Amino acid sequence: MSERVRQAQVGIVGGGPAGMAAASALAARGRSVVVLDEGQRAGGQIFRQLPPGVAPPAGVSEPPSHDHGHELIDAFEGAQVELVSGATVWDSKPGRLWFEHAGESHLLECERILLAPGAMDRCIPFPGWTLPGVTTAGALQVMVRGFGVKPGRRALVVGSGPLLLPTVTALLAAGVEVVAALEASSRWNALRALPGVIGNGARLREAMWYMKQLVRAGVKLRWGWTVLRCEGDRHVERAVIAKVDGQGRPRLGTERTIEVDVVGAGFGLVPAIELGLLLGCDSRHLAARGGHCLVVDEQQRTTIDGVFAAGEIGGIGGAEVASAEGALAAAAIDHSLGGPAVSEPLVKQARAERRASDAMLRAFAPLPGLYQLANDDTIVCRCEDVPLSEARAAAELHGRSSRAIKVGCRAGMGPCQARICGPSLQQLATADPACEMDVPVVRVPVKPVRASTIVNAPG
Amino acid sequence: MSQTADVVVVGGGIIGCAVVHALAQQLPRSTRIVLIDRGPIAGATSGSSMGHLMVTPDTPQDYAFSRTSVRLWNELAERVGGFHFQATGALYLADCDEDLELIPVLHEQFRDNGDRCEILDEQRLREIEPGLAPDVPGALFYPGDGVVLPMLACGAMLREARQWNESIEVRAECAVTGFERAGGRITGVATARGRIATPLVVNATGVWAPELAEMAGQPRLPIYPRAGNLAITAHHVSPIRTQLLEISYLRFAHGAAKVDPAGTDDPGGHAVNMQPQSHGGCLIGSTRQFRGMDRTLNRELLHRSLARAQRYAPALKNVPIVRTWVGLRPYAEGGLPFIGPWPHLDGLWIAAGHEGLGISLAPITGLLIAQQIAGVAPAVDPTPYQPARIGA
Repeated sequence: MSERVRQAQVGIVGGGPAGMAAASALAARGRSVVVLDEGQRAGGQIFRQLPPGVAPPAGVSEPPSHDHGHELIDAFEGAQVELVSGATVWDSKPGRLWFEHAGESHLLECERILLAPGAMDRCIPFPGWTLPGVTTAGALQVMVRGFGVKPGRRALVVGSGPLLLPTVTALLAAGVEVVAALEASSRWNALRALPGVIGNGARLREAMWYMKQLVRAGVKLRWGWTVLRCEGDRHVERAVIAKVDGQGRPRLGTERTIEVDVVGAGFGLVPAIELGLLLGCDSRHLAARGGHCLVVDEQQRTTIDGVFAAGEIGGIGGAEVASAEGALAAAAIDHSLGGPAVSEPLVKQARAERRASDAMLRAFAPLPGLYQLANDDTIVCRCEDVPLSEARAAAELHGRSSRAIKVGCRAGMGPCQARICGPSLQQLATADPACEMDVPVVRVPVKPVRASTIVNAPG
Repeated sequence: MSQTADVVVVGGGIIGCAVVHALAQQLPRSTRIVLIDRGPIAGATSGSSMGHLMVTPDTPQDYAFSRTSVRLWNELAERVGGFHFQATGALYLADCDEDLELIPVLHEQFRDNGDRCEILDEQRLREIEPGLAPDVPGALFYPGDGVVLPMLACGAMLREARQWNESIEVRAECAVTGFERAGGRITGVATARGRIATPLVVNATGVWAPELAEMAGQPRLPIYPRAGNLAITAHHVSPIRTQLLEISYLRFAHGAAKVDPAGTDDPGGHAVNMQPQSHGGCLIGSTRQFRGMDRTLNRELLHRSLARAQRYAPALKNVPIVRTWVGLRPYAEGGLPFIGPWPHLDGLWIAAGHEGLGISLAPITGLLIAQQIAGVAPAVDPTPYQPARIGA
């Protein structure tokens, strides 16, 4: 990229299913599109592609949904779209996206912005979660599927939500023995999702495929279990697991210790709404969809003129929701630029996918008991090394708001800017898992960039 | 809910916390003290500010005032700690002839007050601060300054105050909604969680002090918000290890403002202040602009101030910035804070208006308020800071 300032009709943040679907559709309508993506290649987290030249492990099969992923990627790569990989968007106003690319400061001027930045792993701290070898489920997938790395020999996968399954299969594909897969939600909760899954052929096929993989590898998915703590000298060596009740509270006397050298913990996802908040878009809290979500209307418009949003940013929903909303957003953006009206089937498709996804997520409602796993010494903010006891003291003295906890103990002030600790900090510090969570405060730069990038920002 | 208190301190920033701290020290253990803030403790200006502990030697009064406060900070760090105190000193940097003229002036001021500082030659400058650009034409090092983390210091002060006086009540996130008066004096405070009967209220609400004074039926206090844009780097990448200050800061930031603080046409300005942080990062300020209560980032000013910081510490160029933000300094007309009894309503006291020196001057401010309330001889002559100077 040589031009420091460039123009396009549409600037899209994120090259996952939502961004790819929107970009392809907009290009097909003759719109000029630039996609800014942090990854090395298009695909996003869910359809992550290995770096060029790295071959996938032999004999690995993929879930049915990845056919859809390949279609999206093929269409995207064949479309008249400019993709800037390795781009970090750090500031934005309507019509303007500032980003860092290869150490240089750039500005994209565009008539419309589509936010499709995806989601982040939700971390719920437990003793030992900061030991080397313990990562988020998402990070394990990045290691295996993004870099072809085998993260260890014996793995435990814990957490809650549909993403535990692809984490297990990714580990299996990398040749890692998966000792156990623990879903904190109960079998009873799972039944609540059944009507939604059975009524949706694609989701049913997907679930069946994963179950088949697990059975074939002899991995048992245990419902109503979770990790109590991880232990080890400088690296995780074992995990203590236990049964939990319907609220996620551990049941005394059910503890078991298993020897592992890899633990992937994934307690669902959190929408990445920072850029939307920076732009001034309204958000709302939807616990079932992962927390604070951007508000979008029936045409994926945010509350700020010229800014659209699609996919996880409007609430966790998965790849099918993302690509349907991406296609819908593309039509709405095209219409806002003078194109034809948005066709009803696109709206219906996006709504149907949301309904199906919301139905499935009912099985994985947040479990308040999981916030009791951490003890006084458990680090809650790993950027600033803040233990739970200090966060509790901050909430007691400084106040119960997220701002109060932050200034009282520095939690959330480090390089991740509360992306890791923020979604669970208030519940933990106030010892009230049902507390009303504040909307995160977002400041420039949305992601860390060099000082020179800020100083040399064009425009 | 109704209760009584001997003193209610309004404003849980560094000034309010220092007032509570000094009251707990100066008054009997049985004194009932309530600290109240509508937001978090240290949630506003004190949670957004740099933590420069600065000795200002302009006049003997200034020196005694600021030096005593910095000494109190040192003592608090020794006794209590927990707020990342660092005895960094301050490196005053010149960049032009006008700046160079200030160096001997500052040197003489410190010496006149019996303190020490050092005009650095090129080699000494390199020794003290290897991260500095090679073409800085002149510098002065004053070893007495320091750095703290203000929001943690608020907590440290309150915790020590509670050791001295267990009955201190802290009401965070509880707004004052009104004042009760009778016979020309304060009799109580109405809050979102009930009323508190009290004969004494200390208004320590910084940029919000005029709003609170108005609530007490008092004419507008001449305190105006002066916005500052700040930036902080990632950990362990600070390009400097000493605290850096452009010496032009003294022309720019001290004394009475040269623009109308209530106006809307202040173009704003900046002078570099860089502080190494205990986590190995670096805090970068500072800009100054009057523009009311607006806390949105002034991107233009921020970019300019970062460019200036890069001029002095070139390695900053490749250092990741993780966050920027805006704080509002309480600028008081005339450039000096108001510390003392409000002359028009008995029982109402003010401790506000420290502009950019609130952190540095908090301990002496708290002490002067507490000593005057306790009827003890003040540590420093409080006359220049008396609110009675308004309209005089």
